[in-house]
Amino acid sequence: MRELFPMKQVMGFVFSLLLTVIALAVYFLDMSFATGITILLVTAFIQATVQLVVFMHAGETEDKASIYSNAFFGILLAVIIVLGTLLTMIWDMG
Amino acid sequence: MKVDQSLPLEYGTEQNQMNILGFWIFLGAEIMLFATLFASYFTLEHRIGSGPSGAEIFEITPVLIETFLLLTSSFTIGLAIHAMRLGRQKAMMGFLAVTLLLGLAFLGVEIYEFIHYYHVGATLQTSAFTAILLTTLGTHGAHVTLGLFWGLFILIQIKKRGLTPATANKSFIFSLYWHFLDVVWIFIFSFIYLKGMM
Repeated sequence: MRELFPMKQVMGFVFSLLLTVIALAVYFLDMSFATGITILLVTAFIQATVQLVVFMHAGETEDKASIYSNAFFGILLAVIIVLGTLLTMIWDMG
Repeated sequence: MKVDQSLPLEYGTEQNQMNILGFWIFLGAEIMLFATLFASYFTLEHRIGSGPSGAEIFEITPVLIETFLLLTSSFTIGLAIHAMRLGRQKAMMGFLAVTLLLGLAFLGVEIYEFIHYYHVGATLQTSAFTAILLTTLGTHGAHVTLGLFWGLFILIQIKKRGLTPATANKSFIFSLYWHFLDVVWIFIFSFIYLKGMM
């Protein structure tokens, strides 16, 4: 039975629950928008990294360079799309 | 078909390795799909017209239940792949079944949430905000729904054919898809719900 619950994945799960609880602080505690959004950015991106490395086995095989560069490219474009939209549509720097 | 025994079963053949890499490229495209939805959401979230704002309609309890269900299902699908690598077919099928049940429960809570939005007057036609909110949540929910059927068919196939390089490969790719949906949910949870209720 024990061998079915590897330490690495159990710890990954506990860690992701912990990150969710930390993120919840922005709801239950009173804080400024800047502080809150910083906490959310940090917890969300750490959480995504935990999933990628622990659960999706991204760095375990020979194709890891292709997998990481592909994921990096996808994330880079996502960041450009979101930040670019915020810049022109919300922050009025267009 | 040449099977390389030094690698996990799902990586055993050349074709299997190509399938996995191909699916990662698909996930790259999916990241961009959700990025455009998030970009549109951030643009439109304050354009509420005469409709309700996010802070008025979001409820913390169902959102927390959904988050917990999806996080746990992401953990159990990880355990399923681990059991698969140990060659424990029964345990693998058990974890996969638990994953699908958690996914189904998630979908149930999300449907409840959508009914709630309808009752408080937040429909697809109410405002730019409700339109992009329901489109973003709905796109994620549609992915989960598709995943439930996909996972169910894989479960049936493993029962019929056992753990072969082909079924192991399908299961592994399904696990990538499921973890990805969890990652998307983390961002929805943080930047739609928590940011909206802050």
